[in-house]
Amino acid sequence: MNLELQKGSRSNVLAAVIFSFMTIFVVRLYYLQIVQHDHYVRLANKEQIKRLTIPAKRGMVYALDGQTPVPLVMNQTVYTVFADPQMTSDNEKIINTIRQIAGGNARTNLKDLLEIKDSRYQILATRISRIQADKIKSKKLKGIGFQEESQRVYPEGALAAQTLGFIDFSGVSRYGIESKMDTRLVGKDGLLQSVTDVSDVPLTIGNNNIDRPAVDGENIVLTIDRNVQSHVEQALVDGLKRTGATKGSVVVMNPQTGQVMAMANMPTYNPSDFYNVTDVSAFNNDIVSSPYEPGSDIKTFTMATGIDKGAVTPEATYVNTDHIQVDDRIISNATLGQTGTITFQHALNWSLNTGFVTIAKRLGDGENITRQARDTMYDYFHGKFRLGQLTGIEVAGELAGTIIPPTSLDGNAVRYSNMAFGQGLDVTMLQVTSGFCSIINGGRYYKPTVLAGTLDKNGNLIAGKSVSPSYPIKKSTADQVREMTHIARNTFFMNIDTPGYYTGGKTGTSEVLKDGVYTDNETIGTYLGYGGSEEASRYVIMVQVSGDRMHLEGGLHAEPIFADISNWMLNYLEIQPKG
Amino acid sequence: MSFQRTTTFNSRRQKNWSRNQNTVVFISSIKLGPVAHTVLVALMITVLGLIYLTQATRAMSYDYATQKIDSQIAELNTQKNDLQVENARLTALEAVKSSSVASTMTKPATTEYVQQ
Repeated sequence: MNLELQKGSRSNVLAAVIFSFMTIFVVRLYYLQIVQHDHYVRLANKEQIKRLTIPAKRGMVYALDGQTPVPLVMNQTVYTVFADPQMTSDNEKIINTIRQIAGGNARTNLKDLLEIKDSRYQILATRISRIQADKIKSKKLKGIGFQEESQRVYPEGALAAQTLGFIDFSGVSRYGIESKMDTRLVGKDGLLQSVTDVSDVPLTIGNNNIDRPAVDGENIVLTIDRNVQSHVEQALVDGLKRTGATKGSVVVMNPQTGQVMAMANMPTYNPSDFYNVTDVSAFNNDIVSSPYEPGSDIKTFTMATGIDKGAVTPEATYVNTDHIQVDDRIISNATLGQTGTITFQHALNWSLNTGFVTIAKRLGDGENITRQARDTMYDYFHGKFRLGQLTGIEVAGELAGTIIPPTSLDGNAVRYSNMAFGQGLDVTMLQVTSGFCSIINGGRYYKPTVLAGTLDKNGNLIAGKSVSPSYPIKKSTADQVREMTHIARNTFFMNIDTPGYYTGGKTGTSEVLKDGVYTDNETIGTYLGYGGSEEASRYVIMVQVSGDRMHLEGGLHAEPIFADISNWMLNYLEIQPKG
Repeated sequence: MSFQRTTTFNSRRQKNWSRNQNTVVFISSIKLGPVAHTVLVALMITVLGLIYLTQATRAMSYDYATQKIDSQIAELNTQKNDLQVENARLTALEAVKSSSVASTMTKPATTEYVQQ
């Protein structure tokens, strides 16, 4: 039997039709799967593959408690509660629940917010804790959602606020360590690219999955000792209350390392409530960002320069007439009556301007503050003690200040005569303190730092790189000036210090420049001193107090704050007294 | 008594007469037709497909399990973090200063130092 299809039969036609359809299908499939392959793969990936950012944790900031790191800035997950007013039904229950659980974090006008029916997103409460969020979730309120976010928390409250800075609502770091060390604190976000299901659960199928873990920011340990910082802040508050001054700053440094143990400014603020601060100057760390004319504290620098250059000794004498002429100007002492032939030690004790203008003259030809004298002073002040230079400390907002060089028209003899006793130059407290450390530690200048190191995953402190000091003055010079400041302090403040210790210091009372003119109704009081044993000073403290239209003096208003902190430090550092 | 051989052995000795070669070959008496072959192939493909599906589904179920564990880890990390914050708050200077222990402490009247 012949089963071959006959030509022109219906079966042949059907076969031809089917073949045609199949051909169309094949061509179409070829077009879709081969020609349009990339296009459809892109569409599929867009639909199926999700790119999820794994946020890096911002590094925490620690202070020291003795040698133990303690957290100053931490991260905490908080929640924003929002409502979709088109979905909510039992508004009364929602309002009661949110008010009861979120408390002060709830918006005051909840009823109004829930009645905005043309909106699908209304925030009902912000920054509530996980426990609060869980309580609200357990109520199973319809139309209520939660948004998770991380915020900075400050277990120690306002402690060291200006050193820390804060993170604003847009996530930008402002001021302090937060801003200056942002790149080290911020870390690097990770990436999870994966095929997901409808609930965005990542699935392992697919060839283009990426799982790059986040790299958390570094946990930074500061040299700030929280006990010292706390006492300094309290002493400053008490001192301002006593004196009536409205502003004050204190910096405490370890002169043997350049590490800052405390930095405090008043008025201050709480970083967790930064949005309630009305005067933005409270954010500034005046110790590094407010250059000023330091006044008589600088006499220690002039003395060190004179001794180091061999121009004077502490016992060398000059004739004090309470006035001294420089070019066409007469410079007078603030304290009158110590006239006659006196030693430079005596001039330092009584803070006599004439003595230090005389040193400036002796750096030249003895009669005039020559170019050579000015070059020498500039070299020491700016080049060696680094006044008027950025110190590079790890907090934001540092300003360099100004030291007019002798090459400038303004760098004349009158300018440098004023600089010899602390006027005519703009420097920061940190610069003065760092330079002073080198005077009382044997002549080693350490770059000031607030960075002790970082904390590893196991909680161990990894110390930062130690920087070699420079040597601005000879050890013999440093030792002589240290002894001079010890004598100067004991001349007027003998019974204030705890007996058995070796302390010293210098008062400073600065006139205030306003619109380029010295005001006669305002002065800034400072005290710059140190303490420890005779063998080694363990701390340097600089105190500054000021206030609008207030006459504040170093010896009267700043020194008591120094004494309070200094005596406490002697105990805290467990320094053994002599005798 | 007689028996009937059910297996046929064909001598291959004549065809491949050499050392170490089988001299007999087994030929089953059961024959499979083309339909049976097709059915068997279809069954094998079906079984293989089912195996693939079960494995793929199992891999997916691992993904869900992983996701669940990840969520638990994240939740526990959040709780741990909250506890660390709480611990830091409780051991903060202000909390220590206002603690009942601190309030009962007194300053020593005198201090003696060990000679070093």
